[in-house]
Amino acid sequence: MQGAKVLAVDLTGDAVRAKNGSMVAYEGTMTFKKLTGGGNGLRGVVTRRLTGEQMAVMEVTGTGTCYFADEARDISLVPLHGDTLHVEASNLLCTEAGLRTGTTFTGLRGASQGNGLFTTTVEGSGTVAILSTGPAIGLRVTPQTPLQVDPGAYVAHSGRLTQQLQTGVTFRTVIGEGSGEAFQIRFEGEGLVYVQPSERDTVGGRL
Amino acid sequence: MSGFRPVNGKMIEATVNPGQVLYSQRGAMIAYRGEVSFTPSLTGGQGGVMSAIGRRVRGEAAPLMTVEGRGTVMFGHGGHEVHVVDLAGELLHVESDRLLAFEGSLRQGTVFLGSQGGVMGLVRGQATGQGLFTTTLEGRGAVAVLAHGGVFELPVTPGRPVNVDPQAYVCHRGQLTNRLTTALSWRDMVGRGSGEAFQLELSGQGTVFVQASEEKL
Amino acid sequence: MTITVFDAHTLPADDNVNPYAFSVDLQGQWFLQKGKMIAYYGQISFDGIGHGPLDGLVASSFHSPLHASDWVVASGKGRLLLADRAFDVNSYDLDDGNLTIRSGNLLAFDPRLSLKQSIIPGFVTLIGTGKFVAASNGQVHFVEPPVRVDPQALVGWADCPSPCHHYDHQYLRGFLGGVRHLTGIGGASGEEHQFEFTGSGTVLIQSTEKLIAEQATGAVPDEQGVPGGSPRWSR
Repeated sequence: MQGAKVLAVDLTGDAVRAKNGSMVAYEGTMTFKKLTGGGNGLRGVVTRRLTGEQMAVMEVTGTGTCYFADEARDISLVPLHGDTLHVEASNLLCTEAGLRTGTTFTGLRGASQGNGLFTTTVEGSGTVAILSTGPAIGLRVTPQTPLQVDPGAYVAHSGRLTQQLQTGVTFRTVIGEGSGEAFQIRFEGEGLVYVQPSERDTVGGRL
Repeated sequence: MSGFRPVNGKMIEATVNPGQVLYSQRGAMIAYRGEVSFTPSLTGGQGGVMSAIGRRVRGEAAPLMTVEGRGTVMFGHGGHEVHVVDLAGELLHVESDRLLAFEGSLRQGTVFLGSQGGVMGLVRGQATGQGLFTTTLEGRGAVAVLAHGGVFELPVTPGRPVNVDPQAYVCHRGQLTNRLTTALSWRDMVGRGSGEAFQLELSGQGTVFVQASEEKL
Repeated sequence: MTITVFDAHTLPADDNVNPYAFSVDLQGQWFLQKGKMIAYYGQISFDGIGHGPLDGLVASSFHSPLHASDWVVASGKGRLLLADRAFDVNSYDLDDGNLTIRSGNLLAFDPRLSLKQSIIPGFVTLIGTGKFVAASNGQVHFVEPPVRVDPQALVGWADCPSPCHHYDHQYLRGFLGGVRHLTGIGGASGEEHQFEFTGSGTVLIQSTEKLIAEQATGAVPDEQGVPGGSPRWSR
């Protein structure tokens, strides 16, 4: 690992899937192939088309070391042991070949961000590399301690969580005087939410 | 002993004394103490006027300024990470836009990277926008380069070449030959490229510095 | 590269979570710049300032009704995470002191401090005792005067009297300078003008001249003698 902004992957004939164009350097022999769809076969492709979730993925195969990075964003590794990670497609850098990716409907949260109603899910056993602007912070949610997150700072989540969009308790005291924190996603249940110390440009975040 | 001291990851401090000139990218001074003057430089380095003309002709634009006087100066630019490379007689190729500052004791020149394939290489490089104008610095002294997201070093040894995304290339040190290559077949390139259509292959003996981003400066 | 996990109890109290995020242990009220909250635990509400029951705060903490609308009051009890576009975030304690800061860099502050518009346009001054959180593009570097600073790299200053403009006269006046000035040949070095600080105090600089987007400090009264105030006055 080369610091938190470059991911080094050692390949010995196996494959990884990575965000298009994220290779910065490699040693050895590698081939890069663009994939359409996330690996769910035809159905996955069709769903992806319909949902408009943008995820241009390439498959990297070869022998040697491949280095990935994306716009100097921070990279974190999330190990999966048969569980599911929900992640914004733009925050997904790289997945091991054994993991399955798909899309799910997330409802209103997506709508508030204006960047699609669907997030990518990654399931199986293996390692996922996720991107965040600034190092990601994991926040644990328990039944006693629900968590509110700004939609623009949300990166990913795992576990048994329900999410709902909530408006600030006294949203807009007076017309034209929004509090700037008008929408939040509320997570309840048992699990982990990953946030980044920055906010994507959102429709909802800047009201 | 480096002439440039890191203040933090994004800023360096340098001491200037009479008779010791520094060159830096214009507008990259952050703060200074003492009596220091900043003058736009047409030539920069010891290459003299000829190299300046050479640079103009090749369309390379890396406006520099001369820093002289007595005092300490801090440099930084654009919120990018700064990396100091100390040269002890070797040759450094650095992409011109990434050059933050260097000591006047270094000799400066310009080459077009990716042109070693002859005219075709040059044409191809320019046509695809993947070619790189680099400044060469040679001698003894310190060089500060800018990188988006910091740099990591990859050693290159004979028989172990390294391939770099031209957009993520920062600089390289040592005797390396370079070549623009494509990792894709023609079919793949048309319409459905993986975003990695061109790579810069460096071989020989030396070190390549790569940044954690595809953002060109 | 593994992610550090916090819960409602292990998040730091009034301290940084990492260099880019700050956790406030909220017991009562804090002022935040709009849109800087990234997550929170507990019962916290966010309200625009200057209306209804919070009107009184403007009088006690803001002193300038004109920019109060850019601020939000967080009230309640819980842990509040603040961040600003992955810029470096730091907290500062003022002990019966004063600090002037570029308005866009100030993220949040303790209501015990009072915030006033500086007479330097684009800056605000915090006075009193308490904690505030500020962002900078790259780590903040503290220097003691005398020092000359590139205008865009200046974050703020504490206890320093008299920041003033400094022009590189040698360059502007010299023959070559004159020629350059007239013809544009050779271009400008970009360093003809700095802010100069003298006296005792501390100057805060950020490691880049790239600015954090400026936050309006509010207009100043349109009077003669008020910097930035009157168009008749300037130039």
